[in-house]
Amino acid sequence: MAESDRNMVFLDGSRLIIEAMARAGAGAYIGYPITPVNWLFDGAKSRIPVTLEAPDEITALQWSAGFSATGTFPVTASAFPGFALMIESLNMSFMMELPMVVILAQRLGPSTGSATTGAQGDLLLLRGCISGGYPLPVLCPSNMMDCWNMAAAAVKTAINLRTPVILLTSKEMIMTNQNMDISGLPEVPLVKRELYDRKDLYKPYSVNGNMVPDFLPAGNENHQVRFNASTHDATGATQKNSVEALGNTARLKNKMEDRLEEYTFYDHDDGDGETVILTYGISAEAARDAIRSIRSSGEKVSLLVMKTMLPVPPRIFDILDRYQNILIVEENLSGLLRELLFGQQKNDRIHRINKIGNMITPGEIIEGVEQCKQPY
Amino acid sequence: MQATILNDVKAPYCPGCGHTVANRNMSKALAELGVDPLDVIAVSDIGCTGLVDPLLNCHTIHGLHGRAAVLAMGICMGLEKPGKKVIALQGDGGATIGLQHLLEAARHNLDMTLVVQNNMVYGMTGGQVSGLSSTNFKKPTMPEDAVPSYDICALAHSAGAAFSARAFIGGDSIDLWKEALSTPGFCLLEVVEMCPAYGMKKVKDLHDVSDYGVEISRNERTPNILNREVGPSLLESFKTIDKTCDAPLDTRMEVIIAGSAGEAIQSAGDLLATAAITAGLSSTKKGDYPITIGTGFSVAEVILSRESIHYTGIETPDVMIIISLDGLNKVKDRIGPHTLIIADSKLGIEDHPNLVSMDFRKMGGARGAALAAMASWLKDSGLLPLDALIEAASRHKHGDKMVAIIDKATGVETTTVTN
Repeated sequence: MAESDRNMVFLDGSRLIIEAMARAGAGAYIGYPITPVNWLFDGAKSRIPVTLEAPDEITALQWSAGFSATGTFPVTASAFPGFALMIESLNMSFMMELPMVVILAQRLGPSTGSATTGAQGDLLLLRGCISGGYPLPVLCPSNMMDCWNMAAAAVKTAINLRTPVILLTSKEMIMTNQNMDISGLPEVPLVKRELYDRKDLYKPYSVNGNMVPDFLPAGNENHQVRFNASTHDATGATQKNSVEALGNTARLKNKMEDRLEEYTFYDHDDGDGETVILTYGISAEAARDAIRSIRSSGEKVSLLVMKTMLPVPPRIFDILDRYQNILIVEENLSGLLRELLFGQQKNDRIHRINKIGNMITPGEIIEGVEQCKQPY
Repeated sequence: MQATILNDVKAPYCPGCGHTVANRNMSKALAELGVDPLDVIAVSDIGCTGLVDPLLNCHTIHGLHGRAAVLAMGICMGLEKPGKKVIALQGDGGATIGLQHLLEAARHNLDMTLVVQNNMVYGMTGGQVSGLSSTNFKKPTMPEDAVPSYDICALAHSAGAAFSARAFIGGDSIDLWKEALSTPGFCLLEVVEMCPAYGMKKVKDLHDVSDYGVEISRNERTPNILNREVGPSLLESFKTIDKTCDAPLDTRMEVIIAGSAGEAIQSAGDLLATAAITAGLSSTKKGDYPITIGTGFSVAEVILSRESIHYTGIETPDVMIIISLDGLNKVKDRIGPHTLIIADSKLGIEDHPNLVSMDFRKMGGARGAALAAMASWLKDSGLLPLDALIEAASRHKHGDKMVAIIDKATGVETTTVTN
């Protein structure tokens, strides 16, 4: 690119996320000011048509649900302490099939932990936070460009699948300033909702071939709309456990899995060799530096950065099967990604780098790759 | 004839339940007000009141226990077309669970109506008492629970409700219903009933049971209406930084600037990072400070590099600029044997092999000491041209003062540039 075409600025991931979501169609941002999502709120205030400060996180999710049910796409953000309060309402929105994005910025726990210290500690919470283990789409940016692309993809996925989507990030990703040439940012088109436009009776949870019911906002003048957080049939009427209602509930799982290919994102840098570094989020940047260093010394190593964390895309396992050693890098002590993919059983192929309190360094990853070569 | 909001589905309530009467009153009031059912959005709670959805011809949203009021607020704010009627329906249990939401709804004064059907018990779970169960109601079976009930009408009024009133099942309350459903702003109607399954068996007059009588309160307030305004692209808010000079730096350079809150440490970090971009380098900057940002340490971490930067952490910095004791205490454990320390002389650091100690506070004052130290270091090291720092400073709202500090610290006369 010619020098004159460049537009180099100094910016942060928070603003990239908000701008991309605004372009994709976010019409409301509802926030409770918890650290480290402060800059998201600041960005939203001057960009998103409606930006509201909620008195607590239950309210934030309930207001989001209200906006979504009436046709405005909402975004909210929190860290674990606030996200914990959101979970009941998140289940409600999941069951009602209300599109929205919840940005979860991870910070050091347990509990309130350290508000200004980053972490990667909430992955398994997301895996289980919908009662019944139903899959909630979780996208995770691994660098500044991803802040843009995954934010846009989160809005698109939420609308197309009529579901809440989590954008999983961390303090270090959204509160660090970096130089970036923004002339290279891809266009983010507005995601258009297909509204039910026929005259015959509208059934709010009746689906056509794509597993997702047609949407109509509450308050429209043509058809009665019902949203329901309890087990319900195609009309939205509460039913205890009829075949139709249970089928509708099962569809909530199936639609996420059947259309997973639409929102499967990862970076696979295949450098041959026996070892692959598997990581996500903020640890991916340290892994990229580690790869650069290892390869400059003539060693072979590969990198797989997951961006669609949940549901786990089957292709992730296909890729991992090609390698003898898998080195899983994540900023927690328990090995959440390791447990998500491989359970808790001992497995000689799998190696881990875990840490809390600071980001995992490229040096620690290089050392980890070295140790993968040692005999068991 | 206009359709009523109630359809002909059989109500699922126990015989003698007040909910049946309340629903009929609501339907009659809406019909008399001439409201089209499809202009109504009913938000129902959990509990017996939440069984209402199938009985209604309007839009229905059946949510969580205690959250009907707050969800209805979201619906109100989401509706762009005027003329809609948002009605939240909950019981005394839901109102107790979501009391904060009820007060918030009154305070915000959105155009909605909250109906609290107070039958004194959690009827679906065995008749437990709620915060709205009156002392008279509790006395026969729970004399030990003498805690009075909430007067939610008074609470809503004090929180700012445009209209709040208490009605008793059995009397003619249609006018109260109509006022609650037509007054602009937040309206609360508490309907006192008796649960036939768990209520006292012989109640001659509900007024004798309730802790409070009929109350009608009004606040003269204009309903809160949301403004929607699309802001300009955030990308436009970032100034383009053109490369205007070169820097000799060919490796990664990690710098920590440490001081106290209020000493413009973060601004100094931003200046260094943007100066590096002006000189064609990549840079990152992050801040670290206590939650109470007005006191204690303030630390900025800046990385400069010829290559693109991925990992943005610093373990052992190449350079540390330290201008206060708060800063020193925060970062001293990260000083490496080869770290160059640029420190204010008053800190008394002496035993480091690679130390530059000067009275930077004298050069720049408390808010300019870090910048003075940075400028002094850049002049001596030549890692970045001073012009790059001056150009970065001149973009700042206090650019003239910053350039003056740079001049003083480096002994170079430059022309002051301001935005």
